[in-house]
Amino acid sequence: MILGHPVRLAVAVAAFLMLALIPAGFDVGLKFDAALSVVWAFGILSIVLLTGYVGQVSLCQATFAGVGAYAAGMMFNTFHAGYVVGIVVGVVAAFALGVLVGLPALRLRGITLAIVTLAIALVFDKYVFQDHIFDWFSGGSGGWRVDGANLLGLPADSSSHLLAGYEVLLALFVLVALLMVNLHQSGAGRRFRAIRDSELAASTMGVNLTRYKLLAFGLSAGIAGLGGSFYPLIAGSVSPQPFWVFTSLQLSAIAVLMGVRYVPAAALGGFFMAFVPDILTRYGHGTFMGHSYDISYDWFSLALGALLIVQLILLPDGVWGDLHGHVAKAMAAVRVHTQRRVRVA
Amino acid sequence: MTMLRVRDIYVRFGGVVALDRVSIDLNRGEILGLIGPNGAGKTTLFNCISGVVQPDAGRIFFDGRSLRRVPPHERARRGIARTFQNLQLWKSMTLLENLAVPMDALGRRSTIADALGNPLSRFAERATMERARAILHVLDLDAHANSLAGDLPAGIQRRVEIARALAMRPKLILLDEPAAGLDAGETKRLADLLNAVRERFHVSMLLVDHDMSLVMRVCDYMYVLDFGKILAQGRPAEIRSDRKVIAAYLGEPNPELPAAPDGAVQPVITSADRKDGTPALPTGAPLLGVKGLAAGYGALEVIRDVNLVVRPAEIVACIGANGAGKTTTLRAISGIVKPRAGRVFFGGRDITGRTPERIAGMGLAHIPEGRGLFPRMSVEDTLLLASDNTGQRVDPSVAYEVFPRLKQRRWQAVGTLSGGEQQMVALARALLARPRLVMVDEMSQGLAPTIVRQLFEMLSVLRSKGIAVLLVEQFVESALEVADRAYIFEHGTAGHEAPAAELRADRKLISGSYLGSAVDEPAAIPSEANGNGHRVDVELMEVLSLKVPPSVKRAIEERATREGRSAGAIALELLEGVKH
Repeated sequence: MILGHPVRLAVAVAAFLMLALIPAGFDVGLKFDAALSVVWAFGILSIVLLTGYVGQVSLCQATFAGVGAYAAGMMFNTFHAGYVVGIVVGVVAAFALGVLVGLPALRLRGITLAIVTLAIALVFDKYVFQDHIFDWFSGGSGGWRVDGANLLGLPADSSSHLLAGYEVLLALFVLVALLMVNLHQSGAGRRFRAIRDSELAASTMGVNLTRYKLLAFGLSAGIAGLGGSFYPLIAGSVSPQPFWVFTSLQLSAIAVLMGVRYVPAAALGGFFMAFVPDILTRYGHGTFMGHSYDISYDWFSLALGALLIVQLILLPDGVWGDLHGHVAKAMAAVRVHTQRRVRVA
Repeated sequence: MTMLRVRDIYVRFGGVVALDRVSIDLNRGEILGLIGPNGAGKTTLFNCISGVVQPDAGRIFFDGRSLRRVPPHERARRGIARTFQNLQLWKSMTLLENLAVPMDALGRRSTIADALGNPLSRFAERATMERARAILHVLDLDAHANSLAGDLPAGIQRRVEIARALAMRPKLILLDEPAAGLDAGETKRLADLLNAVRERFHVSMLLVDHDMSLVMRVCDYMYVLDFGKILAQGRPAEIRSDRKVIAAYLGEPNPELPAAPDGAVQPVITSADRKDGTPALPTGAPLLGVKGLAAGYGALEVIRDVNLVVRPAEIVACIGANGAGKTTTLRAISGIVKPRAGRVFFGGRDITGRTPERIAGMGLAHIPEGRGLFPRMSVEDTLLLASDNTGQRVDPSVAYEVFPRLKQRRWQAVGTLSGGEQQMVALARALLARPRLVMVDEMSQGLAPTIVRQLFEMLSVLRSKGIAVLLVEQFVESALEVADRAYIFEHGTAGHEAPAAELRADRKLISGSYLGSAVDEPAAIPSEANGNGHRVDVELMEVLSLKVPPSVKRAIEERATREGRSAGAIALELLEGVKH
């Protein structure tokens, strides 16, 4: 079986079918949220690889997604290429930028590396996505508009066929997630984890640090870029705002909240990041016991910060990590219990 | 044949010369020992060989090829593996995975094929795991194959470090203090293990350890490093009786005090302060009592079942090899490390588990290794810090009376003072806090002998003021000159207690604790053959081990011990006879 364990594959296919069908009943706003949640799930998945597997810090993952989005938008708009070509170019561009960002990581670690990547996120936000010098790339402050795109003949225009883009992206996410789980168990995954646990031991035990750190940054950026390159398709346009510095920080915070070492945490995190703010703005106002209240988008950041503190105390391995561990333990206990009963009978 | 050739390696860190033109040779099949006091440059030499540190000058050859500009991972692939003193296993990975990483490094495997899980990749994976299991089996680690490395006790982790190094299929293993934190029995088993590993895997080893019972037991040849230079080299038996080596480890005997003649012990210890009428050995209720103390760091248990007593106005020395648990004992007493078992009593009260500040407030001052000073603070401000302990402003002039030199330098930043003066500041600060007991850790580290002597005289001044002193010291000679009693630490426990005078007379006992007494025992192996019978001509015996039945080999070895000659020579003789 090429994609690993058959049970895992079956679970993945079932999850895909369920998630692909549910949003059919949503209104347009929630359909967009569903598609956006997969874009951010890719962003968090890229942090699972880089931080969870390899132990490197990056605070510019949204920038990689942005590069993917802008590259795809430009290919479609100025070069009139098919949108699939745009996606490929977006992923390649993000991968290349990732390798470049990885270069300082060969020397730096921890807080210094975090600040360098934060600076890269700031520079791209202010001087690439927003600035006029890069209009050829960013399409000016208005960004690129994407209308009437199709994916290899499948109509995927955001106004009429929003769910087509969503379903393709979701399928890709399930595929990449499966590959990531395989990678974790494989030889390359072991080398990545060896770098995370002790770089000194890894290098003196034959792991080429330069190669594997750059590879990790490149792959991680490519994953973020793949999600980002679908953004113009599902949103109909691309602008600097979704890929600014704060998004990078939010992605990192949610990755930690959900469990930075676990692939399924990326799906949870994407869902959380796309739906919760929208639901807050939709239903977060009204009157309660005679008092009118208004919960705006700002509350999302506040809630995220509070949740992060609670999680670090109660669930240090992240929501998925700890709950998954408890469930597995409970299952094992039940199994032992039932076996014992059978033996008695 | 020389496998590793290190030539004139020179390394400096800032102003400190860590290695000064060091050259060593390691032959194929040899276990080479490298010993030396703390800070002698042993680990730096390891780092140069494994490529983590680039030497400023000098060359290293491995198997005849230069290692210049060869990155660490490439050196590993050429056959140099290493273990780490401070346990660098990949803690969140299972033992099988820990062994698989270096194994994969030898083959060519693609990341993308791995992620796809294609059949070829899976086949290679199965082979890797089989070999990993085989190595774990040899080192008796099968039971833990699927445990996470970080969950295992330190003794087992040390063995896993060796297993992981073997997984590299190395020609040479660099072992950095494999016996650190092991007790006597575990150390003995480690020595057996290292010999077995050499037999089965045909590897050479370069061994750094402070535990001389291990080094003496397994090494064929030794180098002694001191202050970055090769001080001596030779066979273990030669090294053990080398005067220069003993001096480097124990300090020079004081030329003014002739070595104690047998039977005439008492007069020799009459050091300066004995004349002011202090009783020879203070008696009475103990000021500090330690009962069954155990402590450690993480999975590592460093000390166990330590018992000691310090009485008022008494100087007690803790001596013993590095890693024997002296520093950890002080830290557990002063509350920096939480004791895991046992009790600490101070001034009649149980202080076990109290916070360091509260213990300090009760009059127990701890001067840590490295002196615990703030380099940018002036001398006077540093001394005024003692006010925090006494609760009222202290008067630095009291300290200046004892240390006049500090008065001249009162406004200078502590960091600009010489090492000896810094130690005086640390002592003066401790004195101002009006302690009842001062604990000093490695006071003489990095200082010239004359300054060390001055500092030790200061300790007698403290005693004359009624303050007790508990000191940990590498320079045993100086420490025993001033101390009343001493505890000898071995393998994480205070094994032997005696009046300092007796120990000064019985130099052999001390040099045993530093340079290995275990091999002096009558039951021990003759040092010439070094426990393995046929160590002398390894290459020849490798050939013989293939062709000669074990019974014949044993006969040769028996004859070798009987006639006191090397097994290789006898084997050669026999071979000559066959030819004719």
